Amino acid sequence: MNRDASVAVPAPRVFLSRATRETLANYAYLLPAAVCLGGTVVFPILKAIHMSLYQNVLSRPQDYHFIGFGNYVRMIHDPTFWLTLQNSFVWVFFSVSVQFVLGFLGALLLNASFKGRAFFRTLNLLPWIIPGVVVGLVWEYLYQPNYGPINDILRRLGLLTVPIAWLSQPTFAMASVIFANIWRGIPFFTIMILAGLQSIPDEVYEAATVDGASVTQRFWSVTLPMLRPIIVVATATRIIWTFNYADLIFVMTSGGPANATQITSSYTLLTAYTDLDFGYAATLSVILLVIMLVFTACYLKLTKGVESVSG
Amino acid sequence: MDDKQRMSRRRFLQTVAASGAIAAVDLTQEGPFLSPRKAFGAAPVRFQFSVPEPLRISLVESLIDRFHKAQSEVEVKVEFVPQAQARQKLVTSIAAGNPPDLSMMWDNWLGEFDGMGALEDLTGQIKGWKHYAATTPTAWQTVTVKGKIVSFPWALTNDAVFVRTDRVKEYGLKMPKEDWTWDEFLTLAKGFTKPEKNQYGFGMRGGGTWAVLYATEFLYGNGAQVLKDGKVVINSKEAVEAFEWYIDLLRKHKVTPPSAPTDAYRQIVEGFGRGVTSMYLHNSGSVEEQKKFVGEPNFATLPIPVGPAKKRASFYFSETLTMFKAAKNKEGAWKFMAWLMDDEPHFDYAKTLGLLPTRQNLLERPPYTGAAYAGFVKSFPFSIVSPYLAYPGWGGKLDSEGVPIFQQAFVGQLTPKQCLDKFAEMLTKNMA
Repeated sequence: MNRDASVAVPAPRVFLSRATRETLANYAYLLPAAVCLGGTVVFPILKAIHMSLYQNVLSRPQDYHFIGFGNYVRMIHDPTFWLTLQNSFVWVFFSVSVQFVLGFLGALLLNASFKGRAFFRTLNLLPWIIPGVVVGLVWEYLYQPNYGPINDILRRLGLLTVPIAWLSQPTFAMASVIFANIWRGIPFFTIMILAGLQSIPDEVYEAATVDGASVTQRFWSVTLPMLRPIIVVATATRIIWTFNYADLIFVMTSGGPANATQITSSYTLLTAYTDLDFGYAATLSVILLVIMLVFTACYLKLTKGVESVSG
Repeated sequence: MDDKQRMSRRRFLQTVAASGAIAAVDLTQEGPFLSPRKAFGAAPVRFQFSVPEPLRISLVESLIDRFHKAQSEVEVKVEFVPQAQARQKLVTSIAAGNPPDLSMMWDNWLGEFDGMGALEDLTGQIKGWKHYAATTPTAWQTVTVKGKIVSFPWALTNDAVFVRTDRVKEYGLKMPKEDWTWDEFLTLAKGFTKPEKNQYGFGMRGGGTWAVLYATEFLYGNGAQVLKDGKVVINSKEAVEAFEWYIDLLRKHKVTPPSAPTDAYRQIVEGFGRGVTSMYLHNSGSVEEQKKFVGEPNFATLPIPVGPAKKRASFYFSETLTMFKAAKNKEGAWKFMAWLMDDEPHFDYAKTLGLLPTRQNLLERPPYTGAAYAGFVKSFPFSIVSPYLAYPGWGGKLDSEGVPIFQQAFVGQLTPKQCLDKFAEMLTKNMA
């Protein structure tokens, strides 16, 4: 039998090593997500930064030209911008802090066992389910000084003789829109914290009780620390949303009276779509982005701390 | 016979069968089953219509339907856009190079769009139009920009004071005459004001662009002007005095609802309709609504009262039909516009919306002869085109900066003088 003699032939040298190919394949899997993110997040941000460097009023196309940091200088000298920034902080601080406290109380109540708990849990979600524009219209009607129910009830109770124009007086307007926003946002905190409460094992409470911890001590030493990750995430998310949330203000007051309820995000909308000044509106957007980036950086740092505590 | 030929025969038989079926159906019809196709032009006319209230949708649809029945050459496709987005949508479509052929818009937008080089100059065509001479000259002024006529004034209106005549009788007040004065206005407003009943004399407007315009009309009563010799003079001594009187209606005499600093169109119209206020200043656009709210016998309209300088002014504004330079079917757009301006469509549009037609022969028909419209018709002699149309740069700024400045005076954060100084500064800065 004639056997063919074979000579060992070295395997052809591959162009890329296995490790490199695996790395490239991994990047290829990431590519669709990267393209989507790039197109919907990165590109608009870069475009906004680019627009902010131009004089770009849509109704005056002949004036379109590069002005460098001209819009930023204008912003620094714009008293309305500083007023809206101050309003934004008031709006965010009071909205989120009261929502959190009341949402926490709601979660503690709904975590207890009682008849009809499922019904009340569903009912609690109602303000959160209703679209923001509808919430604005409903509260505008409730506050209406001439035929709104709030003034009517106060008059019937003898607490008012002359109706109060809740949304027309600078002293009341911001508080009134914040109150409406609080009403809308409580369910978010309730549901988030309720989920956190239900994830705390009963054994931990039992152990604390055996050790002689009172109800208050159990709350401060068990419940609160174990809820901390959820509280941080929920609060940070809500702060970002509220900072950028202009629907309610737009519907209820359009930023008035005399800019008393104008926040930076609604001022940005007004600048873009009433003045058609897209260059300056882009500048305001970039600044909002920077503020939120700084906040997010702090938030990430805080979250990292929370993870190490809980984990 | 090859396959190709067999297929042809099958197709032939199918065609014969289909023709027979159509012929059979046709025998049962009075008219032809397959009528001749309408000879619409290749590109339909794209018509953007801004909608401040739902009533307008059915009105415009019915007018377009009538136009299609009246001719077979031009097809119109309407795009309804909510009023709040209409201007922005037009600006962005112009910037993108794809505006509609034709749009309904308000006259205070024209300067801005002309500044963008977007409007078709219709001067030549309109001067040769059959109703040109019969149209009131002021209507043409509202649509003339830098000497060019850029639109048809589809409907016109000016401002007058709505008064509850039934309350005048109920409270034993004296119904003023058409040449009434500011003092008589204040006396009547005080007579109507009963805070314990939630009733106020005057529904002052503090929200939206017209908050500035209505206040300015009162300022003209004291001899003030917005512009004089090319300079902004809205902060003159006469203007400040008049504005002090106007602000006092709210802050001192309290004859307006406390919500006045933010009350816009809907609030002032509904306030009167619900009986909260007994007077308000507005254009004729709310007449038909008030006929339903308070009933035609219970209200009348009067011209704005005469001021201390023995002057008064009411500002005209018009709803326009405006063609864009980049229109793809200009001939079709012109035919549609001209048809809408014919007597019957023009009258029907204006009457349904409570606006005024632009020709005298149409103003002599009811309902324009009734008491509800008297204030507007009698205001014609002293009505002028809004002075704020002078500069396109004032368009959006009146709303975004002017209104908050005026609101600061309404709520007492600025004195009338400080307010007008600030306002004049804003106008001067935007004279472009």
